[in-house]
Amino acid sequence: MKDKEKDPLENVRAFLKGFFGAFKQNSTEYLEFELRELENVFALTLMGAFVGIPSPPTTLVIRVLPHMTRELYVMQRRAVDMDDVLGELAGMFEIT
Amino acid sequence: MREFFLPKKGYRVVFFIGKGGVGKTTSSAAAATALAERGYRTLVVSLDPAHNLGDVLMVKLKDKPKKIAENLYAAELDMEKLIKTYLKHLEESMKHTYRYLTVINLEKYFEVLSYSPGIEEYATLEAVREILVKGDEWDVIIFDTPPTGLTLRVLALPRISLIWADKLIEIRKAILERRAAIANIHGEQEFVVGDERVKLPTKEEEDAVMRELKKYREEVAFVEGVITNPRKTSVVAVMNPEMLPLYETERARESLRKFHVPFNMIVMNKVLELKGEIPELRAKLETQEMVLREVGRKFPGVEMVKIPVFAEEPRGLERLRELGGIIVEG
Repeated sequence: MKDKEKDPLENVRAFLKGFFGAFKQNSTEYLEFELRELENVFALTLMGAFVGIPSPPTTLVIRVLPHMTRELYVMQRRAVDMDDVLGELAGMFEIT
Repeated sequence: MREFFLPKKGYRVVFFIGKGGVGKTTSSAAAATALAERGYRTLVVSLDPAHNLGDVLMVKLKDKPKKIAENLYAAELDMEKLIKTYLKHLEESMKHTYRYLTVINLEKYFEVLSYSPGIEEYATLEAVREILVKGDEWDVIIFDTPPTGLTLRVLALPRISLIWADKLIEIRKAILERRAAIANIHGEQEFVVGDERVKLPTKEEEDAVMRELKKYREEVAFVEGVITNPRKTSVVAVMNPEMLPLYETERARESLRKFHVPFNMIVMNKVLELKGEIPELRAKLETQEMVLREVGRKFPGVEMVKIPVFAEEPRGLERLRELGGIIVEG
């Protein structure tokens, strides 16, 4: 009996969780975009020699590179998505 | 004894710079021999890829300091070997780290790196740093350097590297701040590569990249601290009484001033002194006169020592000691 009485509350809780979850997601969307851009810039700066921009001291680059899996991954993803930057921005600002 | 050859705070570092072929190696070997003779534990190191320090000292040298005489040690650094071992070690550690990433053709990147502009300067700086870290083993460390252009870039590197390190630390901080903000809302973030899950660091002390950046900054700041300290470092320019070395010495002085590296003395090498008149050499002697006058005018406050042209090249300890005496004595 008790379990049945509890049900509506649980539904409310689940609803609220989903509701706030959506807010949470929205709240970090810009931050995540900014973070991705910064990670991309960081990797690009270090691998500048590839695209012809002045690179930081080579010693520094080769010391930091082994720890940069994440940033290089992001840089590669950004390069792939490059043709649709406007699309991504439009999606983020809900311009359809 | 000239002040700037003497160890004041711990050890003394002396760079002999100058155009190719003016006699840097001979002068530095001579100064080292004279200092060793006066009781200072002296190390003379050749950073020039085209070594001839061993030829001047008439011994075969390697990259580890070799005892030449009482208090005198010498070494020739093998830049090519340094660069190769450095990149090889790195390539292996990176191949391991990036076994999931096929995006970047690492071998190609390393090919680029080993020929990348500046790699020689970085390797030279790294070698200089390693010697300076163990500087307390010596009273005086004398560097026989490659021709001016490369040396000036090496001496400028610490400052430039500091600027880069600071910029990268700034971006890294911004990245970590954003990661921390996201982790505050969503909890710990993970990054999945292949079948490995890695926690994304949000704090400076747990981020390997930040740790490397800060360590590098510290190392470079140490070299910068030594080479800009007039109580530790002196630069001696070697030149011949000709116009081109004069222009080059002037430019060197400007660059050194810009990077706050002390410039102390000019060794005017191969000065021709004739007893009789030789018409064929008149033009050369006139240029020599003019250059000597100009040096006096353009480098006020910088000491100059004149070394005459010797009938034969000064090689071997005995001749070097004599020549070194002229350089280090006041």
